Amino acid sequence: MTVSRSRPSPVPARNAAYQQLVAQRNAFTVTMTVTFLVLYFLLPVLAGYNKPLMATKVFGNVTFGYVLAFLEFVMGWVMAYIYVVRARAFDRLAEEARQ
Amino acid sequence: MTFLLAAIIVAITLGVTFWASRRNTSAGDFYVAGGRISATQNGIAIAGDYMSAASFLGITGLIALNGYDGFMYSVGWFIAYLTVLFIVAEPLRNLGKYTLADMLVYRLKDPRVRTYAAVSTIVISTFYMIAQVVGAGSLISLLSRGAISADIAIPLVGVLMIVYVVVGGMLATTWVQIIKAMLLMFATIVMTLLILTKFGFSFSNLLGQVEAKNGAEFLGAGVKYKNPIDLISLCLALVLGTAGLPHILVRFFTVPTAQDARKSVVWAMVLIGAFYVMTAFMGNAANVLLGKDAIEAANKAGNMAAPLLAEALFGGAGTAGGEFGLAFVTAVAFATILAVVAGLTISASTSFTHDIYNGVLKGGQASEADQFRVARVATIGVGVVAILLGLAAKTQNVAFLVALAFALAASANLPVILFTLFWRRFNATGAIWGIVGGILFTLLLIALSPNIMKIDPDTLTTGRHLIQANAIFPLENPGIVSIPVGFLFAYVGTLLGASRRNAAQDDRDFEEMQFRAYTGAGTDGTVAAHD
Repeated sequence: MTVSRSRPSPVPARNAAYQQLVAQRNAFTVTMTVTFLVLYFLLPVLAGYNKPLMATKVFGNVTFGYVLAFLEFVMGWVMAYIYVVRARAFDRLAEEARQ
Repeated sequence: MTFLLAAIIVAITLGVTFWASRRNTSAGDFYVAGGRISATQNGIAIAGDYMSAASFLGITGLIALNGYDGFMYSVGWFIAYLTVLFIVAEPLRNLGKYTLADMLVYRLKDPRVRTYAAVSTIVISTFYMIAQVVGAGSLISLLSRGAISADIAIPLVGVLMIVYVVVGGMLATTWVQIIKAMLLMFATIVMTLLILTKFGFSFSNLLGQVEAKNGAEFLGAGVKYKNPIDLISLCLALVLGTAGLPHILVRFFTVPTAQDARKSVVWAMVLIGAFYVMTAFMGNAANVLLGKDAIEAANKAGNMAAPLLAEALFGGAGTAGGEFGLAFVTAVAFATILAVVAGLTISASTSFTHDIYNGVLKGGQASEADQFRVARVATIGVGVVAILLGLAAKTQNVAFLVALAFALAASANLPVILFTLFWRRFNATGAIWGIVGGILFTLLLIALSPNIMKIDPDTLTTGRHLIQANAIFPLENPGIVSIPVGFLFAYVGTLLGASRRNAAQDDRDFEEMQFRAYTGAGTDGTVAAHD
């Protein structure tokens, strides 16, 4: 192990693109994570505390519980898509920051 | 016919393994396929790592026997990938080389962290692996209608997985995973299409028949999970544990860039999502077409629901089509078990060789050839241990081992990963406290929970609980308590370690780590300089 405290650690050059990247990325990560956790936990919380609602039929025999569960899948895909789109901007900023 | 199809699948995967063996020339090839796997391939392999026999056979059975509650597992396992995608995938690829420990040591600069992170990886992989190996034993004996007992099936799976990993390394393991994921998706899609034709392409119609057969409560929540806190705790462990599972984390080091890590998670989410949506069709159709009694007669936990459903969909018992359906799904389940166990084995043996042998014992000075040799020996060691523990645990209830692995990953690994990435004041003492405290506390809660402590009826001969007494800790999954406590341990450790650190240097290390995690600067080849 060559890790040592005395190894010269170059503090990376600061630039506007990097500052922007950190700020935007952190804001995005926190917003998305909080949003999906809140929306996801609707499912177990309702399943635990509001069983009649979960068993209510919405379309034909399809219950609210199944609709909510399928919506969770849609949410997952949509949020992944949003992330991919946003990440392109992050990639550009990262590219700039490395210059 | 089952044996023939299983033999064909094993032969194909062994062929791939020997092809891959000729392309393995360095330790990096063995650990992470030289970082040359494409994002799409890696995405399919991640999906393969995740769609274990527990998902395919277990969830179909859970839905068939418990209705809606079984499907909640599917949702949790899928949503867990958002945590992986948003928080860990890209920074991990930017900071790490072969293992989780690489990433932690890159920031914290303390060799002790490497040892603890490696031990954590090995402990979690082992619990997960024992569950898979024991599951494999009972499943194969079930699927072969008792022709192969668990005593033969466990060593058989163990030896095959050792061959895949020792001979083919990560490249072969990835391809075995891809082949299996595609077979599994194919089987699931065909079965779902057959179900749709039987029920007039209407999910509502399918649910209507489920209701007519089982009553209305089967369409809503609460058949299986009576205690809301237990359910929330389980969901918490699932959604946060995935981001700390070693065999999922190691997959991010097999791709060349952070962008590829991100793309592979997205690919995995497409496949896993599609697969888990189809479990709602398969489980409910199994309930209608086979009936609860027939499913429970074959296996009380419902593990035979998917193969029996295939038999029914392809023409029924005794017909050539039915026999083919049963044989094909059984063979796919066998391939699934093999592939998942191989994936776990490689994450454990990589951690041992790269972190403990090379990183700690040899001070990072072991030659490539030496590491390569030790990696193969370590794989055999890990495999033999898994076989022996699997044989010892074969009559035990194994569900708790999987829950344990998720809870351990969420309580011991995730707090340390998050603090490393985002908390400026975090230090090595905090990491060690987080890992050790998280593991020990979670193990303690599990030991006191109904997974281990339960009074079984005297008539029960297999699957008895280890301690025949009333549980002290009431929840089956400790996540809701152990995850916050894991964070607390990491926090307290950080405060305790703060006085002994050089704050200015720590700040520089954090800045440097952050720059690299966010921008990917200097990712190619430079991690070696920090080992």
